[in-house]
Amino acid sequence: MLLELTGLSKRFGPVEVLSDVDLAIDAGEVCALVGDNGAGKSTLVKCVAGIHGIDGGAIAVDGEARTISGPRDAAALGIEVVYQDLALCDNLDVVENLFLGREKRRGLVLDDDAMEQLAAETLSSLAVRTIRNLRQPVASLSGGQRQTVAIAKAVLWNSRLVILDEPTAALGVAQTRQVLELIRRLADQGLAVLYISHNLNDVFAVADRIAALYLGRMAAVLDAADATQSQVVELITSGRSGSLGLGADTNGARS
Amino acid sequence: MALPPAVELRRRNRAALLEQLHRHGPQTRAALTEALELNRSTIGALATDLAESGHLQETTGQSTGSAGRPSTLVACVPRSITVAAVEIRADRLRFALVGLGGEVLERSESALEAGADPIEAVAVITGGTASAAAVASVPGLVDEGAVAHSTELGWIDRDAAAELEAATGREWRVVDTATAAAVGEWSRGDAGEARKLLYLHGGRGLTAGLVIEGRAQRGGSIQLGHIVVEPGGRECVCGLRGCLDAEMEAFGLADGIEDATLAAGMGDAAARDRLRRSGEGLGRALGAVVTATGPDEILFGGWLRELYLSTAAPVRSAFAETTLPHLRSKLRLRTPVLGDEGALIGAAETGFAAVFEEMR
Repeated sequence: MLLELTGLSKRFGPVEVLSDVDLAIDAGEVCALVGDNGAGKSTLVKCVAGIHGIDGGAIAVDGEARTISGPRDAAALGIEVVYQDLALCDNLDVVENLFLGREKRRGLVLDDDAMEQLAAETLSSLAVRTIRNLRQPVASLSGGQRQTVAIAKAVLWNSRLVILDEPTAALGVAQTRQVLELIRRLADQGLAVLYISHNLNDVFAVADRIAALYLGRMAAVLDAADATQSQVVELITSGRSGSLGLGADTNGARS
Repeated sequence: MALPPAVELRRRNRAALLEQLHRHGPQTRAALTEALELNRSTIGALATDLAESGHLQETTGQSTGSAGRPSTLVACVPRSITVAAVEIRADRLRFALVGLGGEVLERSESALEAGADPIEAVAVITGGTASAAAVASVPGLVDEGAVAHSTELGWIDRDAAAELEAATGREWRVVDTATAAAVGEWSRGDAGEARKLLYLHGGRGLTAGLVIEGRAQRGGSIQLGHIVVEPGGRECVCGLRGCLDAEMEAFGLADGIEDATLAAGMGDAAARDRLRRSGEGLGRALGAVVTATGPDEILFGGWLRELYLSTAAPVRSAFAETTLPHLRSKLRLRTPVLGDEGALIGAAETGFAAVFEEMR
């Protein structure tokens, strides 16, 4: 397993946001993380990304226990996060954004040619045809194109796990399709993808596995091939579905 | 008449070398030697021979940035062997002339007037084009050059290969559009790892094609739209009741999938409900096809791409409820990378496969 979370817990003061969460993600697969607002999805992501420290449990990368105490640690392990706000600079062009903070140098000056070539290669390996001019400022791009640039930026750094937080939330129908195809392609090229979404159509379109959080607990992790929409909805809303999910004695309250 | 063994071997090697270059692009002699498991000098002799006949050329490769002379690449000459590919649709003809190595040399599209016979139109647009093979893709149930049924064109039992030959004076191969697209995606797209690839094509009516190791199979042409998903349901143009085409109003979606998904995305309850039902119907029909054929990858092509990406939850839910677990656990569901060009590219690849077969 590329990333393995065991018994992960996180408290903000007296509030337990994540409680004993287990999750494993392998290279080459898209794992969708679903759950209602406040279920703990974003907190889980922030724990893996090194924004929050964890209060209990363990994080292992490639089977080796790791402490992730900051975003730099996460990046060093090949974990990249694309947040909803994308964190792109509007006044810079596509190439400058892709390499922002990690520019390639040749002696004392920036190696613009090498960066542009690498950017073009990355985009073409992702079969991105929507961005023609790599030197146009990001401000002039559409929402879908911006999302594409943000994802390409995460992929450029030999990253192995890409975490996408609601990447299609602000997009139109056609742009959503392109981003979904891009997510699928990332995994098919061997990356692990943790994909957070509220839209079950989007989840089913790309996911290999579906992990449902319910009030800070992992209700169930299903193979997408076996899951049905109504099962997933039940897991999100009540934490269980038939024989799946949290036991009947747990209602989310801490005993 | 049997050829002497040495001559025959040489022919086989020539075909194998051209096929290798056609499929995998320019490469060094060393790479060719390894790929074809032939002697270095044999490759050298074959390359010289094929260079003289105009089939290949040696070019200086891109510098790798490392020290030393860039290695020489062997590449095929696109114009030396060409295949004409035509995709017949209800309202238009799409034509491509594809050269050895897969380069598209000519490309055109022409609208068909209502009532015009596509076969005569094919003769007009391919009239002045010389090519080693000609392949037509037809949406429908195709077997050995004959079109048994095409919802899109309204054809029943039409020997398209013979009619095309009569109209153009040359031999034609006829494949169904879904199978052609499957061949295209396998050879030039992203699906090259699939052993059994099922391509679902959304045109005016739904069809599907199954290819094994990239090869079209007899019986691999599937009338997806005429699988009954609702016994006793709506009447279909084919005469049956409750066909997938009729239940999902496939003709309407073929023209209006963008509007329908947009309306659903904006919260139109009727549009959502319609898409959900279409998705469920597609999932159930897919359950039947997968149970019968057991593919390891499925591509949603034509307007089914839009439908699948917008309604994946009902499609996969209905599919999961109608398929055995071991048939779906390793199954990849994807959208095609070649888009609309897949069928033309695949039709041309079918032609090239036949050309290489004849060279052997």
